[in-house]
Amino acid sequence: MSNQNNPLELLETTDDVEPTTRSERWRVWIDLWILTPLQIMWKDRRTRYGSLIILLYFMVGTVGVRLVSPATQNEGPAYVQPFDFEYTHMVYGYEVWQFPLGTNGFGEDIFAQTIHATPAMLQMMLAGGVFTAFVGAVVGIVAGYKRGTTERILMTAADIQIAIPGLPLLIVLAMALQPRSPIVVGLILGITSWAGLARALHSQVLALRSESYVEASRLMGFGSFPIMRDDLIPNIMPFIMINFMNAAIGIIHLSVGLYFLGVLPFTTDNWGVMINFAYNHGALLSWAGLPWLLAPIFAISLLGYGITIFSQGMDRLFNPRVRARHATTMDDSDEPDPMQ
Amino acid sequence: MSGTTEENVDSESPRSVRSEGNTILEVRDATVSFEMERGESRVLNGVDLSVERDEVLGIVGESGSGKSMLANALLDAVVDPGKTSGSVRYFPPDGRDPIDVLELNDDELRTFRWEEISIVFQGAMSSFNPTMKIRDHFAETIDAHDADPEECIERAYDLLSELYLDADRVLDSYPHELSGGMQQRTLIALSLILEPDVLVMDEPTAALDLLMQRSIISLLDRLQREYDLTLVFITHDLPLVAHLADRIAVMYAFELAEIGPAEEIITNAAHPYTRMLLGSTPNLDAPVDEMRVIEGSSPDPVAPPTGCRYHPRCPISRDICAESSPEFEDVSAEHQAACFFHEEASDAVTYPIGEDNDAIETEGSSTSSRDYGEPILSLDDVTVEFEGDQSILDLFDEPEYVRAVDDVSLDVHEDDVVALVGESGCGKTTLGKTIIGVHRPESGNVTYRGQDIWEARDSHREAEISFSEIRGALQMIHQDPGSSLNPNKRVIHSLRKPLKKSQPDLERVEQERRIMAMLEYVGMSPPEDYANRYPHQLSGGEKQRVALIRALLMNPDVILADEAISALDVSLRVEMMELLLDLQGRFNTSFVFISHDLSNARYLAEKADGRIAVMYLGEIVEIGTVEQIIHDPQHPYTQALRWATPDLNPRNESEESPIRAIDIPDPKDPPSGCRFHTRCPEAREICRQVHPTNISTNGSEVACFRADPDHDYWDSPSIVNEESDDDETSMSTLD
Repeated sequence: MSNQNNPLELLETTDDVEPTTRSERWRVWIDLWILTPLQIMWKDRRTRYGSLIILLYFMVGTVGVRLVSPATQNEGPAYVQPFDFEYTHMVYGYEVWQFPLGTNGFGEDIFAQTIHATPAMLQMMLAGGVFTAFVGAVVGIVAGYKRGTTERILMTAADIQIAIPGLPLLIVLAMALQPRSPIVVGLILGITSWAGLARALHSQVLALRSESYVEASRLMGFGSFPIMRDDLIPNIMPFIMINFMNAAIGIIHLSVGLYFLGVLPFTTDNWGVMINFAYNHGALLSWAGLPWLLAPIFAISLLGYGITIFSQGMDRLFNPRVRARHATTMDDSDEPDPMQ
Repeated sequence: MSGTTEENVDSESPRSVRSEGNTILEVRDATVSFEMERGESRVLNGVDLSVERDEVLGIVGESGSGKSMLANALLDAVVDPGKTSGSVRYFPPDGRDPIDVLELNDDELRTFRWEEISIVFQGAMSSFNPTMKIRDHFAETIDAHDADPEECIERAYDLLSELYLDADRVLDSYPHELSGGMQQRTLIALSLILEPDVLVMDEPTAALDLLMQRSIISLLDRLQREYDLTLVFITHDLPLVAHLADRIAVMYAFELAEIGPAEEIITNAAHPYTRMLLGSTPNLDAPVDEMRVIEGSSPDPVAPPTGCRYHPRCPISRDICAESSPEFEDVSAEHQAACFFHEEASDAVTYPIGEDNDAIETEGSSTSSRDYGEPILSLDDVTVEFEGDQSILDLFDEPEYVRAVDDVSLDVHEDDVVALVGESGCGKTTLGKTIIGVHRPESGNVTYRGQDIWEARDSHREAEISFSEIRGALQMIHQDPGSSLNPNKRVIHSLRKPLKKSQPDLERVEQERRIMAMLEYVGMSPPEDYANRYPHQLSGGEKQRVALIRALLMNPDVILADEAISALDVSLRVEMMELLLDLQGRFNTSFVFISHDLSNARYLAEKADGRIAVMYLGEIVEIGTVEQIIHDPQHPYTQALRWATPDLNPRNESEESPIRAIDIPDPKDPPSGCRFHTRCPEAREICRQVHPTNISTNGSEVACFRADPDHDYWDSPSIVNEESDDDETSMSTLD
């Protein structure tokens, strides 16, 4: 190849552009990837409340457990009703309820139990969600982009996983492994949900891989990994994130169901275990036991609600149009007519 | 103003006489607006227009000029949340009271829409329900309007055969079984089934090939006269309606800019915008040097410019243009333009049409003697096949193959331009991608500077020129600007990628400097601003430029431009082609330019001193210099393409169609002998049996027996007037 016709050599003569400095680049990067997303999240009601709820659970799981001492048996009489002023204690000079949500049949503080169940639930949720999203994404994207034998093997594996009934498989696995760590429980529960995500992503990637810009990258000589990283994943990230959120909620519901059924071994405090005990001690039959049943149910529902509205608002965060409009380092005045 | 124009005004056809009693549709102050986050978007702004009975009114505008909104407003069919205001009045032909279209309730509208006015949209495929047979579509329409089924079906048969369709076959087909052109014609028949008086057509041919486009225009012309129709024909393509329309209205920025008799608009346009548009439209006759570019871009409907909306781009604008918006002023009795200075426009903005330019057509043909050195890329008897669709029932049969490219040889030289022209489905994209080593041919060789590309790929490092080097040297610009850039990456990121490949050890600052210089060079300034944008913040033309830079930064030898300008507005095409030519000259890059449009191919090839190759059903039927292909085409198919290319000169009256069948044969089962014989006006018995090989005639190559004066062809009996039993769509009787 002759070098005299190299456009890059030719251009140096026409060049008097100020290069951007490193600090300038950092400023743009921070604006684009941190400030702008936060601003968009705050502007949308769903992501605002969703993230506040998620943050609340995170705080409870990290700070809350240090402030509230764990529940012990017979720390009060059985079935104390919520907000009962007969049982108070002093916190930093203020007189507050000793059992804000009452006590259960064993005289344990329901509030403390609910709080102390949070870290395990969050760990389980995170482990299961990450496992599902990661395995699902890798299998789906690789199968969709690589085609051929790779695609056939990966998709067959996913199909087998989809074809096996999920609940019996989980029960068998739980019985056999008797997982105690919440993270392991999360991973086991994630086994049933990755295949569906892989299938859905596979079809999305099939459509994306024939886009012109993907072909252009191929023509430049880029390999599979850079193309998947730069051209495919950013464009299906919203889909992956929403599935990650849904998988996380699914893991919580599954685990609570399995704990309630007594399939998973009872270890630490756990919302599912609480419901199980409440049910078995006749909480459905008397008003006095109702807080015991409702507190964990409410905790699960609120977390589920928070994650759901958060993930609904997420697609705005990934939309480059919305991102560009909020970025301060970007002039958006001549955006073409959106009617087109 | 010349004397001919005065005559034109006087000798106008009786159909376009304006009198109050002859108006069929009257639009007053029609405005369509959408509420958006950024403010109110007025996509149609105070349009006044009357449509005369039995006329053909062409409405011309670039994309985003509001022409489709006008069509929808005529039928009160603007989609929610758009709001239509103003008035649209329809005067029924039988003397009933005028109907105020915007005041009709839903039931009345439903009746009105098919029986009085009907509309044909651009995408025929999405206008049909894919799960219903065509017959059911007709039945459904007839049923919904309580029309007499027998009478209507009879009319359907008439209309379909009028449009050169086999009525029985079409009615019993599902939409997907028909080609795009057949669907569009069926849709026209369907829209006429209830005998409307007005037919509104919104870009009815934009998605079709030139030959099909031109054929449909001829058919429409006939239908219009036969059925006393009033046609409102909306298009972005001025030359296309030039011969069909009686009057032409030009839209710019959601307003009417000019309206007048077609011939006068073409030869003597009064509005500067119309004149610029005419001057920037590539066509076959005008000399390429006189085509020019419209600066700037169309305005935003939320914040249009004050005063005259064209003034930021207008070469003769003055202070008053920015302050107040011009009313319609009479240029002649029939011809109005919304411009304060329309009298000066003809001197300030010239365009070659209407002037005498016969002399230019006979320029010297020194181009054929160009000396080519060693080819960069060379194709030798290349054949590319695709496996056809198979259902589960033919699991054990031999798979069916479609030959997309059949036995093609072609050389691409240094600093060369080869334009591939042909109808859709003729294999030009497949051939293009084979040239740059994307598709692997079933047989034949593709060599890059003497190195077989696919051998290099298979043998990895042993080859003389490694595959990765070849890969980098052969780049491509895609057709659709919308998908040519990663929507999630900023321009700078997309442009850094090729540099990482072609010059991996370049420093980041240096990379950036080169990208900025390149952006500046293609006219995207300030470059820092453009570099930080996301693709959605660029216009179509700007996206294509970024794609072009991305290809060039690889420092390639050959760039394949696959219909790279077809998706752009007419006024931007010349600009983009100029840029391609400029960069070609500067960087010594060869272009393989794929186009379905002969006039674009001619523009590029003529300026770059390149060649045009005409493809038909997987074969190159003729290849030669611009001079040979445009001015002296040998192959009947090239002649047909030349006929189909709309030209603006009103003196070149449309001759009769040179092809015998409108529709392309099934590429899965191509005709025997010469593949064009089923449509060729010169076909003889021998064409059906013997496949012609390429014959060289002074520099060009033609795959037709007619190029050889001593061939057996001349003794063979003609098959043109033969009654063929299965060829119902024959056009031999077309006047």
